[in-house]
Amino acid sequence: MSVISLSNVGVRVAVDGRPDPKVLLQDITVSLAEQRIGVIGANGSGKSTLLRLMNGLVVPTSGTVTVNGLDTVRKVRPVRQQVGFVFTDPLSQLVMPTGREDVELSLRRSVRKGDERRRLAEAALDRFSLLPLADQSIYELSGGERQLMALAAVLAVNPTVLVLDEPSTLLDLRNRELLRRTLSGLDQQIVMSTHDLDLALEMDRVLVVEAGRIAFDGDAAAAVEHYRSLCATDVAAP
Amino acid sequence: MRGHGFLLANYVPGTSLVHRAPLWLKFLLVLGSGLASFLVVDWLVSAMVLAVLCGVFLLTGAGPLRLLGAVRPLALVLLVIGLFQWWQLGAPTAARIVLNILVCVVAASLLTATTPMQRLLDGVASLAAPLRRFGADPERFALTIAIMLRSIPYIAGTFADVRDSARARGLERHPRALVLPVFITTVAFARQTGEALAARGLGEAED
Repeated sequence: MSVISLSNVGVRVAVDGRPDPKVLLQDITVSLAEQRIGVIGANGSGKSTLLRLMNGLVVPTSGTVTVNGLDTVRKVRPVRQQVGFVFTDPLSQLVMPTGREDVELSLRRSVRKGDERRRLAEAALDRFSLLPLADQSIYELSGGERQLMALAAVLAVNPTVLVLDEPSTLLDLRNRELLRRTLSGLDQQIVMSTHDLDLALEMDRVLVVEAGRIAFDGDAAAAVEHYRSLCATDVAAP
Repeated sequence: MRGHGFLLANYVPGTSLVHRAPLWLKFLLVLGSGLASFLVVDWLVSAMVLAVLCGVFLLTGAGPLRLLGAVRPLALVLLVIGLFQWWQLGAPTAARIVLNILVCVVAASLLTATTPMQRLLDGVASLAAPLRRFGADPERFALTIAIMLRSIPYIAGTFADVRDSARARGLERHPRALVLPVFITTVAFARQTGEALAARGLGEAED
């Protein structure tokens, strides 16, 4: 199992018209080695920033992030070979007109021969029963099909870790269930942010992120309970 | 989002002669069409070349709808160009210019409709391979072409969406209500695309 370590991590960004930088994350120290890790929290709490650190998409302002000992800033390329990233909106992720072309694009760096790339792409699509949709425009696919297509494109290069940023947010109930079942069958270590608390309850470990800090870290049921109480306090406050 | 309104025709699997033709020959066809638009001075010749290309396109099995779909987004621009040139230089010149642009679009569509994207990218990467000695990365050339082909229809779709929302608010005559949202959406799209590529380790310098 992979180990993702964050040590004293902080992320701050400059904001126009404000003298002080905005703090997105602060004092994050955590080591993640479980098979399925959930990240829950309110919108704007820092969940996406936390996830993006793990693939090198966000660079920490302070502290270090490592994946299996590889620093995500200094060794970004090997880190990205190990850590696949799935975005909330698959249309942001699928950069080719069809699923087949997009999966083949993923393989371009690692597989030079066109025939071999095609074969591997078909195998990756077939794994999720997407082969019949391989040559359809990505705009003609349903939300769930698109999300699975994006997942297939990421998994085609066999990452050891899969980071998913709210992958079920744009999906209806049926597609959520399809995605949930697909994810449960994967061998990869999964780190996933979600607003779907039922999905969070299936994780081995859940982090609750609140105002850029980890407010709770523990087993799923306790984390969800903690998050519910946080939300109840916030709503009751005014 | 109407990003599926593709300016050039998407690949259509098939076994026609054009599908099986070598990539370099199809590249030459597009290049030749581009050059011809400067060299051909008779609109009748342009019309004949266009008719032949349309005939070849239909013979590939890609279908008249795809051909129409490739040309339709340009209709308004071609109309404006045609009217302006007619006013400035007369009907024959206007017809020649409009027909020559159509020749280029149909030739490019013929290439994209009969060549899988990955084969196209392989071709671009091979063409750019000699530039490796100057420090260039051929894969980046290929990726740039791929992103360009993806971005044109997306931006066209964004424009259509923004125009509709401006109409819904009665702002269709305000250029700022059209241009600014398209600009902002395009920049956001560029950032998203860059992030999506980075997340997959694409577009990074080779070791």
